[in-house]
Amino acid sequence: MFAFRSQEEIAREAIKHALKALRRRHLVEEGAHGPALIALSIPIISQGSEWKEKAENLETELQQCYKAQSRLSEQLVVEVAESRASKALLKENESQIVSLQEELTQSRDECSQLKADLEEKIEALELIVSENHQIRAQLEEMIAKAKNAEAENKMLIDRWMLQKMEDAERLNEANALYGHLIDQLKASGLEKLARQQVDGVVRRSEEGAEFFMDSIVPTSYKHKINAHEGGCASILFEYNSSKLVSGGQDRSIKLWDTNTGTLSNTLYGCLGSVLDLSITHDNRSVIAASSSNNLYVWDIQSGRVRHTLTGHTDKVCAVDVSKISSRHVVSAAYDRTIKVWDLQKGYCTNTIIFHSNCNSVAFSTDGQTIFSGHIDGNLRLWDIQTGKLLSEVAAHSLAAVTSISVSRSGNIVLTSGRDNMHNLFDIRSLEVCGTLRASGNRVASNWSRSCISPDENYVAAGSADGSMYIWSISKADIVSTLKEHTGSVLCCSWSGIGKPLASADKNGVVCIWA
Amino acid sequence: MEAQNYVWEGAIPLQIHLHESEVTTFPPPPPALILAPRIGYLPLLIALIKPYFSSALPPGVDTLWFDYKGLPLKWYTPTGVLFDLLCAEPERPWNLSVHFRGYPANKLIPCEGEDAVKWSFINSLKEAAYIINGNCKNIMNMSQSDQVELWRSVMNGNVEAYQRVSSKLKLGTVEDEYSVKPQQGTCETDTTGQVKTGRIPIRLYVCRVSEDFDDVEDVPKIDSWGKISFINRPVEIHKEEGKYFTLHDAIKALLPEFFSEKTLIESPSQEGEDKNNIPSEDASDSKAEEVVNVCNDVEASSTSNAEIKIVRIQGIEPKLEIPFSWVVNNLMNPDYFLHICLYVKVANLNTA
Repeated sequence: MFAFRSQEEIAREAIKHALKALRRRHLVEEGAHGPALIALSIPIISQGSEWKEKAENLETELQQCYKAQSRLSEQLVVEVAESRASKALLKENESQIVSLQEELTQSRDECSQLKADLEEKIEALELIVSENHQIRAQLEEMIAKAKNAEAENKMLIDRWMLQKMEDAERLNEANALYGHLIDQLKASGLEKLARQQVDGVVRRSEEGAEFFMDSIVPTSYKHKINAHEGGCASILFEYNSSKLVSGGQDRSIKLWDTNTGTLSNTLYGCLGSVLDLSITHDNRSVIAASSSNNLYVWDIQSGRVRHTLTGHTDKVCAVDVSKISSRHVVSAAYDRTIKVWDLQKGYCTNTIIFHSNCNSVAFSTDGQTIFSGHIDGNLRLWDIQTGKLLSEVAAHSLAAVTSISVSRSGNIVLTSGRDNMHNLFDIRSLEVCGTLRASGNRVASNWSRSCISPDENYVAAGSADGSMYIWSISKADIVSTLKEHTGSVLCCSWSGIGKPLASADKNGVVCIWA
Repeated sequence: MEAQNYVWEGAIPLQIHLHESEVTTFPPPPPALILAPRIGYLPLLIALIKPYFSSALPPGVDTLWFDYKGLPLKWYTPTGVLFDLLCAEPERPWNLSVHFRGYPANKLIPCEGEDAVKWSFINSLKEAAYIINGNCKNIMNMSQSDQVELWRSVMNGNVEAYQRVSSKLKLGTVEDEYSVKPQQGTCETDTTGQVKTGRIPIRLYVCRVSEDFDDVEDVPKIDSWGKISFINRPVEIHKEEGKYFTLHDAIKALLPEFFSEKTLIESPSQEGEDKNNIPSEDASDSKAEEVVNVCNDVEASSTSNAEIKIVRIQGIEPKLEIPFSWVVNNLMNPDYFLHICLYVKVANLNTA
């Protein structure tokens, strides 16, 4: 049997037991194992903490190193960039230096070159300056010389002129003297004549006076001859005879007996159509102006061509021979020249050039002056010796002069113009002493010839309508109109013995009027 | 205090093996030796365990779970309780296998980490408060910092910090003339003002064994949770004149079906020097035992031959006549629950 314990005791016992159990548990479980585990883990922990510390330290170091590295690398980058830039700059500078050096050497060379050139140029310049001076001096010399020469020249010319003038004066004196002598001669002649007349014996001893007869105004035609084919441009009577000479388009010159109206001779040799005829005063030679730029001189008796006068460059439209000398021939051609020929020599001795073409020429009676009628309507007088223009008269205003005829006495010259007027000029004064015209009278061509009657009372001219008009000079009016030609009348001629009157037309028909 | 200190300091040595299915290194990593606090929870050990095995793990996300001899361990149960329950013969160190992959979602509630454990703890606390006070206002009105500190004190095993916070909860202690009164002035005033003799939150883990055994080492292995029944019933302490409420009374109140009028508990031989006491105590209760035995024999049909073999609280097997109030005040877990492990022999396993 055991003692009955109180509840409380039981309780406390149980509690004590529980506590003891707890303690035992503690000892067995955590009390035993705890320290062991701790002991095991301490080194690990410590190591771990050591490692951790180390790791942390290393990490911080590493971070610092990284930072430092990054900083350094940044710096490095900057430095590298800078260095590159510097290098580039350096290279640039170097190359610049090189180029500058080159430039410098170039410049130096150029400079030295230029200096050399300059020196050369200076030398040359000095040389030239000296030469210049020399030349200037020479020039001045020359100028002086020239001046002297000019002065001398002038002086010489003056002297020469003086000489000439003196010569001319002498000549003039001589001429005057001569003229005076001639006058005296004439005067003496006239005295003789006067004495003769006073004697009551009329002696017509003037030259050519034996043949003087009154001119008869023709009324009708006596003969009508077909003289030339193609036209007859020129007819004339032999001096103081009734023999007619005609020249035509057919290049022949025919001699007619106007009493019978028959052909007596034919002259051949002209190479062109006959534009004008002239006969020497002795009736031995006939001169024809031809469209072949030549003049032909025939000897009538032999019928042969004695001269062919060449020199004109265009058709010869007018010819006349000197009444005195029979040696001088004047011709006018459409090459604006008037030529004077010497038949004895056989060539041209003088050529007058004038701008206006001459249609008709005539010698003055004394053979010293040539009358020429021009296209510009002027009548001109030329001195045969010098060829100089003596005077000029407007014969037909603005109309060409077509014909010049000198009267038998030599005092009056008849001009016909394209203005259908016929003027009479006094030779000495060259004043118009009469103008003849007719309503139906039209000058046919530039070379239509009119003529004066030998007694200087009448003027005959042909017309384009084929009729012949005859004026009386004193009446200044038509006295007769002769119609027979069918073509325009080109030329006419009054025989020196007063009759007949002959005319030729474009058809080559020659009418003899009596 | 002394007992409470023992309770808070208690730690189980664990030898944790990485389960062979998850070993990817050769040689396999050695097991980790860890002291796991009894009042703590297994998932909280991940910080200690992970470093040992992290290098040997196969690739993937870590989902931590433990198993003991193939049985996945419930994580919301305190470590001490698990040990007491599953190891009839305490195995020191306790060999567990740890898994980091392949969480058996069909067997275990998912655990996302420390926070899940914390919320489970708080939940238990609320449950306890409700049982004790009839409401859990004081838990829900706890400030954030108090919550954090409370949990931290549990994790760190800091009993003073815990008591500072828990005293604010006014969950009271059972009047108990046997315990050493706490000495802090504030706590004293609190507890004296809040002494209740009310309902006690209890979690009872009953392991049924079909065969009788004499020695703990003969206890057959528990291979499924089906063999264990969880009973969450509060116990009301009845004060009887002249008699204090014993542990035995509590168990009887919890498992009336295992006791007819009187139960007979055959205490296994205990280690240590209390052996002497036992016979005396046994002697004092021998009548009761006999009665129980008789009762048992007589009422075998009614109680289906249940015999409570082992009662374990906090790793100790207290005498059944220990005042229950002392047990509650000294051996309860921080969540204000008293976890009791029971080994019961049942003739046939069909009984509930």
